[in-house]
Amino acid sequence: MSSIEVREISKKFGSLQAVDKVSFEVEPGEIFGLLGPNGAGKTTSLRIMLDIFKPDSGSVSILNGPMSEEKKNLIGYLPEERGLYQDIQLDRCLIYLATLKGLSEVEAKKRIEEYLVRFNLEDASKKKVKELSKGMQQKAQLITTLVHEPKIVIIDEPFSALDPINTQMVKDLLLEWRARGATIVMCTHQMHQVEELCDRLALINRGKVVLYGSLREIQNRYASQSVEVHSSVPIPADLPGIKAAEQHNSGTLLKLGQGVTSQDVLRALLERNIPIDQFEIALPNLDEIFIQVVQETGAEE
Amino acid sequence: MKKFWLVLANEYKRHVLRKRFIFAILSFPLMVAFVILISFLSARTNYDARPVGFIDSYHILTTTRQVPSTGEKFMPPVEVFQFPDESSAASALNKGEIQAYFVLSESYMSNGSVTQVTLDTPSNNASSDFGHFMTYNLASNLSGAVANRLVDGKNLIIRSLDGTREMSANNWISIILPILSGLLFFIAVNVSGGYILQAVVEEKENRTMEILVTSVSPTQLMGGKVAGDLLVGLTELTIWVLFAVLGVAVAPRLLPINQTIVIKASEILLLAATFLPASILISGLMGAVGAMTTDAREAQQISTIFTLPMVIPLWFISAIMLNPNGAVSVAMSLFPLTAPFALPMRAVFTTIPVWQIIFTISLLWMLAVLSLWLAGRVFRIGMLRYGKRLSLREIFQRA
Repeated sequence: MSSIEVREISKKFGSLQAVDKVSFEVEPGEIFGLLGPNGAGKTTSLRIMLDIFKPDSGSVSILNGPMSEEKKNLIGYLPEERGLYQDIQLDRCLIYLATLKGLSEVEAKKRIEEYLVRFNLEDASKKKVKELSKGMQQKAQLITTLVHEPKIVIIDEPFSALDPINTQMVKDLLLEWRARGATIVMCTHQMHQVEELCDRLALINRGKVVLYGSLREIQNRYASQSVEVHSSVPIPADLPGIKAAEQHNSGTLLKLGQGVTSQDVLRALLERNIPIDQFEIALPNLDEIFIQVVQETGAEE
Repeated sequence: MKKFWLVLANEYKRHVLRKRFIFAILSFPLMVAFVILISFLSARTNYDARPVGFIDSYHILTTTRQVPSTGEKFMPPVEVFQFPDESSAASALNKGEIQAYFVLSESYMSNGSVTQVTLDTPSNNASSDFGHFMTYNLASNLSGAVANRLVDGKNLIIRSLDGTREMSANNWISIILPILSGLLFFIAVNVSGGYILQAVVEEKENRTMEILVTSVSPTQLMGGKVAGDLLVGLTELTIWVLFAVLGVAVAPRLLPINQTIVIKASEILLLAATFLPASILISGLMGAVGAMTTDAREAQQISTIFTLPMVIPLWFISAIMLNPNGAVSVAMSLFPLTAPFALPMRAVFTTIPVWQIIFTISLLWMLAVLSLWLAGRVFRIGMLRYGKRLSLREIFQRA
């Protein structure tokens, strides 16, 4: 049973069709990436999932049913537009927001103290939120997202404003939560983070889902007829069935002709006694797929 | 429902624990006390304790007794001395022994003609105290009680035809109570409404809103905020009322206030019955405006649409006093935004038909509930419209 089922949701603001029959499912214990260019409809889709907006049509099922006040306590949300009360002490702000998620004040205090230590924010607990740096506020907001141990974590651009050390810390945290069985939906523009973290993804463009599936499936779908070979000697360009050879990173990207398989190329290399350090089917990275799909769907419109 | 209380408590503590709240609480009564003190000091500065003299060449007065003391210590009546002729009075005036002297004319009994002679601008108390002296001594052949009554003047009691309402002209507190409490209400409702407005706009501006609405329903959130901020306003009002009670108890000991202050329970009840739904109404509307607009300044400007009408009855005070059952007075006491001032004010001068009181208070309650609903709805639709104002059409479309 999916943790989240989004079925054909649509939402219009004035004349703008922000979301157009968007559907996807998120399974328990997976990190799901929701991608798309600016203004594609990702955040609107998230807000409909969270019952902030009502869809014009379609429906959302969260943990086997419509959103309820009780279910709100099982969801941790980190919005793209970060926000905390600026004029109060950090610990008071976090405790209040944690109690709104159903924790008792005593429990909230205990957990927040632990998180503040873990996030190196213990010295800032008595400071006003507005006195904290952007990165510190980002970490504080993450505490708000996770402190009540939600079953579903929805995070919009989790790595913005974080330095590499804190980025790694957040990644570790997400992986830890996935290992605990939490369902994580992540909205981001940072494709390498998606490649590293996400099990499955949906790409939204102009309000519609244009790509949906596991990372590997999608990469295979968009894989060109190429192999990447790493060798201690130069790869000859006259191998049978090769259209072109390009230097790619530290290896050579061989573009295959019509009907030529990767097995044919490997056999040819071995026949010529060329030492092979690494041989792999060249898969496009998400950046390339993203650009290609967005351009294609943009052109269709 | 638990989250409603959490929001309420947070909203309340957020304002009440701030230094500026304590400053706001204390500044108003201190300002009022200061103004009253300055008024009395100003009157006292103009007061001259030196005696006055008079010349009665035509033997108009048969006795020259001093007016008995009333125990007034702040500005006691000055003594009045008789001089045989104007030259001796002028000599005393030049020496500063008296502040002025009065010359009774021959025609005094027929036209009251008196000449006052002073070196400087005469003090306010000189002529009035001399007037009392004349009245008291002219009535000397009457009994002491009659003479005292003539000096003290009348205490006019105005009563309605059916006898259900009456008011003493001397009990000025009854007249100023609805005005004063109306003003206090206006300030308190503006302060607490301002808090709601500020809170909603701030949460929109600092993006806390998105976190909040994924934790608590918009209705509970808005309800908790309105209730919390109303409680802030109520705390202010209570503290101000306590200061007022303290002032009423202490002022007669310190200042020349010589009358018993009578406040009727029915007047307080009517004030409370009108103010409570009106506060909720204004707070709800303030919340809606906060959720509708894009920044605090714009919200403040729009909110004047309903805060300004509240003080309209103040411009029509004389109309309400002179004709409390006239069309203007009745209309203002029925109209929800002017009722908090107009209804209690009318009640001082007339017997308001029961149906009008029930109608006004019921209407206020209905609109209060409606304003909360509207606030919740506008809040839900407009909460995440950063930088974009909500149109009225959008408010009444499907959310």
